[in-house]
Amino acid sequence: MPPFARLLIANRGEIAIRVIRACRELGISPISVHSDADVDALHVQMADSSERIGPPSPRDSYLSIEAIIDAARRSGADAIHPGYGFLSESPDFARAVEAAGLVFIGPPPETLESLGNKLAARRGAQAAGVPIVPGTTVALGDDSHELAGIGFPLMLKASAGGGGRGMRRVDSPGALADALVAARREALAAFGDGTVYAERLLAPVRHIEVQLLGDRHGRLAVLGERDCSIQRRHQKLVEESPSPAVNPGTRAALFESARRVAASVDFHNAATVEFLLDADNNHYFLEMNTRLQVEHGVTELVTGLDLVAWQIRIAAGEPLADAVLNLAGRGHAIEVRLYAEDPYDDFRPSAGRITAWRMPAGPGVRVDAGVSADTDLRTEYDPLLAKLMVYADDRPSAMDRLRRALDETLIGGVQTDAGFLRWLVDDASFVGGSYDTGLIGERWGTDHELDSELGALAATVALAARTMAETGRVRAPGSNRAGSAWGEVARREALRR
Amino acid sequence: MSDLEVQIDGVPVVPARGWRFEIVDPARGIGRLVNGLASMPVIVEGGASDWVVTIRGRRISVTVRSWRERMLAGAETAAAARAGPVAVRATLPGLILSVAASVGDAVEDGATLLTIEAMKMQNDVRAPRSGRVIEVSVHPGQTVATGAPLIRLE
Repeated sequence: MPPFARLLIANRGEIAIRVIRACRELGISPISVHSDADVDALHVQMADSSERIGPPSPRDSYLSIEAIIDAARRSGADAIHPGYGFLSESPDFARAVEAAGLVFIGPPPETLESLGNKLAARRGAQAAGVPIVPGTTVALGDDSHELAGIGFPLMLKASAGGGGRGMRRVDSPGALADALVAARREALAAFGDGTVYAERLLAPVRHIEVQLLGDRHGRLAVLGERDCSIQRRHQKLVEESPSPAVNPGTRAALFESARRVAASVDFHNAATVEFLLDADNNHYFLEMNTRLQVEHGVTELVTGLDLVAWQIRIAAGEPLADAVLNLAGRGHAIEVRLYAEDPYDDFRPSAGRITAWRMPAGPGVRVDAGVSADTDLRTEYDPLLAKLMVYADDRPSAMDRLRRALDETLIGGVQTDAGFLRWLVDDASFVGGSYDTGLIGERWGTDHELDSELGALAATVALAARTMAETGRVRAPGSNRAGSAWGEVARREALRR
Repeated sequence: MSDLEVQIDGVPVVPARGWRFEIVDPARGIGRLVNGLASMPVIVEGGASDWVVTIRGRRISVTVRSWRERMLAGAETAAAARAGPVAVRATLPGLILSVAASVGDAVEDGATLLTIEAMKMQNDVRAPRSGRVIEVSVHPGQTVATGAPLIRLE
């Protein structure tokens, strides 16, 4: 007997597809939603049916509580999975879902409310006896003396932010007053709440998170850690489990802290407690998220669990199985995120139509993709294209597998970070496991002049391509493809003859 | 044939010796570069004189022009240089986080004019050329659509 008959997925892209797959295996009919920009999207094609929720702008579609509740009513869904991002951490959404008589695949609204306030979450963790990043635990006033004991550099953070958003680095006391004004203004503009607090900027540090599953019967499973230290703009790009930096003693301490934070929070769902880990193996609570993480697949590979299926079962009231509670991971998993971003220009987002799309496969390789060839990438949405995950018995084998998988990866039409990721798997600090959150800034850097060897190779290709196009040796089938004038040249040339 | 000249970023480039390009999937522009036993996958897009070649994940814009096309392009560049003020527009929809430029500022080519947050990311909008700021059309906290005018340079 499936836990639900019909489940609506209030998201798009790869995570909507991930939830669709879990629904299929559980015997649940998956229903997707789409904005006008996503009528032909992959997640719409894969669901049993799809409901239109509005124009392309996320505010009027994927972030519209009203439109999504309407869609759920129209489609006869009995539960809603929010995925990650969009409305997944909105207490108002969780409340509206419950008010509509539907099941929200996530924690109670009150929990989302209290954890969404990062300052309150810091106080909660501290009260639970868990170390927090040194800094303030109340909102900053205008008096900068409050920060005297913290030391510089420090980070100003928006209390309504989180997930790496709404942060500003301050290097000296002299820069503080201006930074405080700017941070408040930014927080107010971005989150509608100008409350900020300060944390000491710890460096070098690693970013480690602990995966949890909690059910409605008070049972908690601690499912290992993930190392998420490879970041740009405080956003994760690469995750692995187990962390090469975490020894058994540190792991036990991290798990104990994660349990304490979880015990102080009323939740039933997948959740993650995030920590910073310094060079002396001290850990500090950063935040807790009671939703599915982008990088959940890494934990799935080392545990063999389907975390999304468990989210759904837990929401339906099923208790966690004993086998899940005592699960120890085995082997090693690494995930790299393929983004439409330009690593040679500070990881700026790119857009356009994907003209070529070849994803790796074979032993130990998993690809969760939200796009394919001919997908139009729009700047309104997250530039995540796919998550490439590998699994092997140990870290060196996983690294070899990842290098092989990246060599099979080919994406045309938009600039992606694939070249950066390929560089990373040969980087001594990553391969050696000694990296920290500064890796991209310090080792990849910002100077990416095209080297002359690569330029000469590109010249060879372009010259040959033009010559081939003009002599008609290349004639693209369906050659009027937008985004590729390649076939058009051949056709024009053919007409001229 | 042989009057074709290859340029990257306006600089003539000599094609790599010993490497040959083979097309594998013309519809997708997928091919490979071959040199003896060595080979690497590449993607090529474009047509006429403007091409984009992806090698090792990096997209490289390449122009391949005949003598005649080079002459025409030179005349266009000269005309553009004589043109008046330039409008800097949003290439992404997003939220204006900060505005660094004020009316009257002299800015260098590539200077950061303002910062837009889109898709959880802060993106600097830079000056397309050096000039004087004659108009600032946006303020922090404002949401802009793609193509919205942000700043005018003289």
